[in-house]
Amino acid sequence: MRLPFQHTNIVEDSPYSIEVKELTKQFGDFTAVDHISFNVKKGEIFGFLGANGAGKTTAIRMLCTLLMPTSGSARIAGYDLAKESKMIKRNIGYMSQKFSLYDDLTVYENMQLFGTIYGIPKKELKDRIFSSLKMLELENKYKTLVYSIPLGWKQKLAFATAMLHRPKIVFLDEPTSGVDPIVRREFWNLIYETAAQGVTIFVTTHYMDEAEYCGRISIMSHGQLKLIGTPTELKEQMEADSIEKVFVKFVVR
Amino acid sequence: MKEFLQIIKKEFIHIFRDRLTLFLVLAIPILLVLLFGFTISTDIHHADISVLDLAEDSQSKALIDKITASGYFEVISYPMSESEIDEDFKNKNIKLAIIIPSHFEEQLTNEKFVTLQIINDVSDLNVASILNNYIKAILHDFTLSYNKINEADVPIDLSIHMMYNPEANCVYMFVPGIITMIMIIITALMASISLSREMETGTMRMLLIAPVKKVHVVIGKVIPYMILSFISTIIIIIISLVVFHMPMNGSIGLLLLLCVVFMLTAASFGMTISALVNTQLDAMMITMMGLFLPTAFLSGFLFPIDNMPYIFQLMANIFPGKWFIIALKDVMIKGSGIGDIWSYLLILFGMAMVLIVVSLRRLDRRR
Amino acid sequence: MSIISVTDLHKSYGSVHALKGISFNVEEGEIYGVVGPDGAGKSTLFNILTTLLLPDSGEVSVLHKDIRKDFLEIRKYIGYLPGTFSLYPDLSVEENLIFFATMYQSSIKENMGIIKPIWQQLSPFKNRPAGKLSGGMKQKLALCCALIHKPILLFLDEPTTGVDPVSRKEFWEILKTIQQQNISVLVSTPYMDEATLCDRIALLQEGQFIKMDSPQAIIDSFQGNLVTLHTHDIFNLLHLMEQCPFHCNFYPYGEHLHVIFYEDLTTILPSFEKFLQDNNQIYNNIQQIKPTIEDCFIEITTEKKNL
Repeated sequence: MRLPFQHTNIVEDSPYSIEVKELTKQFGDFTAVDHISFNVKKGEIFGFLGANGAGKTTAIRMLCTLLMPTSGSARIAGYDLAKESKMIKRNIGYMSQKFSLYDDLTVYENMQLFGTIYGIPKKELKDRIFSSLKMLELENKYKTLVYSIPLGWKQKLAFATAMLHRPKIVFLDEPTSGVDPIVRREFWNLIYETAAQGVTIFVTTHYMDEAEYCGRISIMSHGQLKLIGTPTELKEQMEADSIEKVFVKFVVR
Repeated sequence: MKEFLQIIKKEFIHIFRDRLTLFLVLAIPILLVLLFGFTISTDIHHADISVLDLAEDSQSKALIDKITASGYFEVISYPMSESEIDEDFKNKNIKLAIIIPSHFEEQLTNEKFVTLQIINDVSDLNVASILNNYIKAILHDFTLSYNKINEADVPIDLSIHMMYNPEANCVYMFVPGIITMIMIIITALMASISLSREMETGTMRMLLIAPVKKVHVVIGKVIPYMILSFISTIIIIIISLVVFHMPMNGSIGLLLLLCVVFMLTAASFGMTISALVNTQLDAMMITMMGLFLPTAFLSGFLFPIDNMPYIFQLMANIFPGKWFIIALKDVMIKGSGIGDIWSYLLILFGMAMVLIVVSLRRLDRRR
Repeated sequence: MSIISVTDLHKSYGSVHALKGISFNVEEGEIYGVVGPDGAGKSTLFNILTTLLLPDSGEVSVLHKDIRKDFLEIRKYIGYLPGTFSLYPDLSVEENLIFFATMYQSSIKENMGIIKPIWQQLSPFKNRPAGKLSGGMKQKLALCCALIHKPILLFLDEPTTGVDPVSRKEFWEILKTIQQQNISVLVSTPYMDEATLCDRIALLQEGQFIKMDSPQAIIDSFQGNLVTLHTHDIFNLLHLMEQCPFHCNFYPYGEHLHVIFYEDLTTILPSFEKFLQDNNQIYNNIQQIKPTIEDCFIEITTEKKNL
C-alpha cells in the first residue's frame, strides 16, 4: 500500500505530542475531570475509554481547546493549551462517526470545504484531495454525493478529509463503531499507516472491539484517570482475558 | 377515552415545561394589540383640509362650521373647482378634501339623500382611515342635529364616496386581523411543529405502534393548542373592548363560536402541513410561507381585498383568514347575527373537515 | 408454530435494495439476534416486523398474524424499543411510563411485576426529565416503556448502541430475566461480541442473511483452523503477511493477528513460524484458538467474495 500522507518532520524537544498535567474541570460543585495526567507519544495510537458520564467528553473538549480547564496544564502538538489554542486548532484533526461529512455535498465539495476552512491554498488543496482520493481508490467518485456512498467508504473519506491539513494529532470519536468487521480492518490499516508517519491518533470509544486495536489505552472513571497501559498490560494487571472484562472490573470496582 | 385524555395531558406538560414559548404565546398577542392600538389610534388634531362648497347654502355652511368646530380639521383652502383640489393636495399638503354637492340643502329637505364626496390622501393609510372616521362621526352628528332642529324624522342616508380608500379602514379593523394571525401562529404553527417534532424524534412511531386511534393522537395533540389560542383570543378581545373601546354590536356567544370554528380550521391546516413533511423546520417554513404570509396579505388584514388584482382576489378565497375576518367584522361592528354569517361559518367548517380527513389518511398510511 | 415467520422478504427504497430475500423463523421463548453492520438492513427489517412499513414482496407473519392485514391486532401484543431514543425528553421518567402505559390501556400497577427489576434502578430518578438521564438509564426507561403492556414479543432495535460496556452487560442480564417471563425477543446489534448472548442468530450483510444458527453451531461450522499470535508491531507484521507463502486468511484482531489456515496445523504451523522467524518478526503466544462470531463473520464474507 502507498503511504497516504507525507509529513515534514518537525524537530522538537519533546517525544510527546500530548502532555497533560493535573488537568481539571469543574462545573460548579461537580468535578467532571479530576486532575488527570498522561502523555501520548508521537505516532502512538492512544485509546481513551470511559463509561457514559465518566468525564471523557469533557476531557476531550478541553484537549481540542473547546473548553477552558479550571486548573492544570497541557501541551498539545507542542503548544500550550492555555495560551496557544489557535496553533493547536491548526495542528489537530477531528473525525466522528456521528457527523463526518455533509450528505448533500459531493465528495470533492466536502473535501474542498474542510480544506478551505483550514486555509490550504487552492491549487495545493486540489492536489491533496486527488492524491488522497487516489490512495483510497475513489478518484472516479469525486463527483458522487456522499449520501450514496457506502458507510465503510464514508468513514475512510471522512478520515482522509480530517487529514487534509496534515495535522499532527487526529482525534477519532468512535470511528468504526457499528461497521462491518472487514471494513473496520481496512479502516484500521489506514490508521496504522497514518500513525507510522508520526501522526498521533487519539481514539475515544466505549466499544472494546475498537479499543483493542489501540497501542495503549486509558480508562476514565468518575473524572479520574487511574488505569493506563497497553491492552496486554491492562489484562494482566486486572487479571482479565479481555479489555471488556478489564473495563467492567475496573469501573464497577 | 383515557388514552385520549392522556395525550392531551401530555401535550399540556410539553407546553408548560417550555416556559419561554408559553410566555411568548401569551405575551405577544397582548403586545401586538397594544402596539397596533396605540400607534394607530393616536388622535390627530387640526388636519389641513380643503372644502369645495358647490352649494353655498345655509346647510352647507352649517356643515363646514361643524367640521371646523370639531377641532380635528382646519379648513385652509376653499378651492373653486375639482382641479384646484388636486393642486391643494400637491402644493398645500392637505390630508383630505370634501366636495359638497350643489343644492345640498334642497337635497337634504326634499330628496332625503345626499352624496358627499371625500377625497383622501392615502399615502398614510392609517391617518386617512382615522380622518375618515372623524368625518363620518361628524356627518352622523350633523344629520342627527338637522333632524332635531327641523323637527323632522327623515332618515337621511349619507353615503360617502372615498376616492382612494373605499373600504373604510379603521383601528378596529386591525383587531380581527391580529386575532387571525395569532390563531394561525398558535393553532396551525405550533400544532404542526409539535406533530412534526414527534415524527422527527421517533416518538410518533411509538404512538403508531401502540393500539391507540390515530384520530385520538392527532386531535389530542391539537386540542391544547386550540385552548391556548382561545385564551389568547379572549385576551385580545377584552383588551380591544376595554382599552380601545371597540364596538361590540353582535352577540358575544356568536363571536366565540366563530373563533372556535376558525381555530378548528387553523388547526386542520397545521395537521395537514405536518402530515406532508417530516421535520420541524419544514413544518415551520411551510406554515409561515404557505399560510401565515398569504393570510397576512390576502385576507384583507393589511390590504383591502377589493383593491387587489382579480387573480389575488380569487386566491384570497382559499385562505380561511378572509372568511373569518369578514365574519368577525360583521359580528362585532355591524352586529350581524348567525343568520347573516352562517355561510362563512360553513365555509370554515367545511375546510376544516376536508383537511382533517386528508391529514388523518396521510398520517395513517404505511409505505 | 413460529412466533415470527418470514419467507423471501424484499424491500427497496427507490434504487436501494435494502432487503434481498430474507427468510427465517423465530420460535416462542427465544432471544433471536440479528447481527450485522450499520446499513445492512436491520432497521428496515424491524420496521416491517413491527408493522410500520409494508414489504414489497414476501410472506411475513408475526404472532401467527399477517402483517399486511392484521397489523392492528399485532400491535396490541408487541413491544418495541427503537434504535434512537424515542421518549419525551421533557417528561419525567414516571410521566413517560404512565403515558405509554395508558396508550396500551394498561397501568403501571397492573404490570409492575414485569418491569420491577428495571424499575428498582430507575425509581430514584422518577421525577427527573427523561432527557437528563445517562445513556444506560435512558435505555432502561425505554425498555420499561416497551414492556409496560406485557407484550408477548419484544423488538429491540440496537438497544446497546451508544451505551458503555457496564450498562451493556446489565442490559443483557435484564434481557435474560425478560426471557424467563415467557416473552420472546428479537434483538439487533452491530456488535459481534453480543451475538453469543442470543439463543440463535442471523448474520445480516447487505440485505441478506449469510448465516443463521445458534452461535455455538456457527462457531462449530467454522471452516479452517484459527491461529492467534501477539506482536508489538502489527503494522509491520501485516505488511509481511502479504508475502506469506501459505494458503491462509489473515487480519488483525485487536492487538493480535488472526490467521486462518485451511490445512492441518501440525504440518503447517512449524513452517509458518519458520517464515516469521526468517523475516525477523518478534512475536509471542502463538496458539490455535476457537473462533469468535466475528471470526466467523469475516470467514464467511471473505469466502463469499472469493467465490
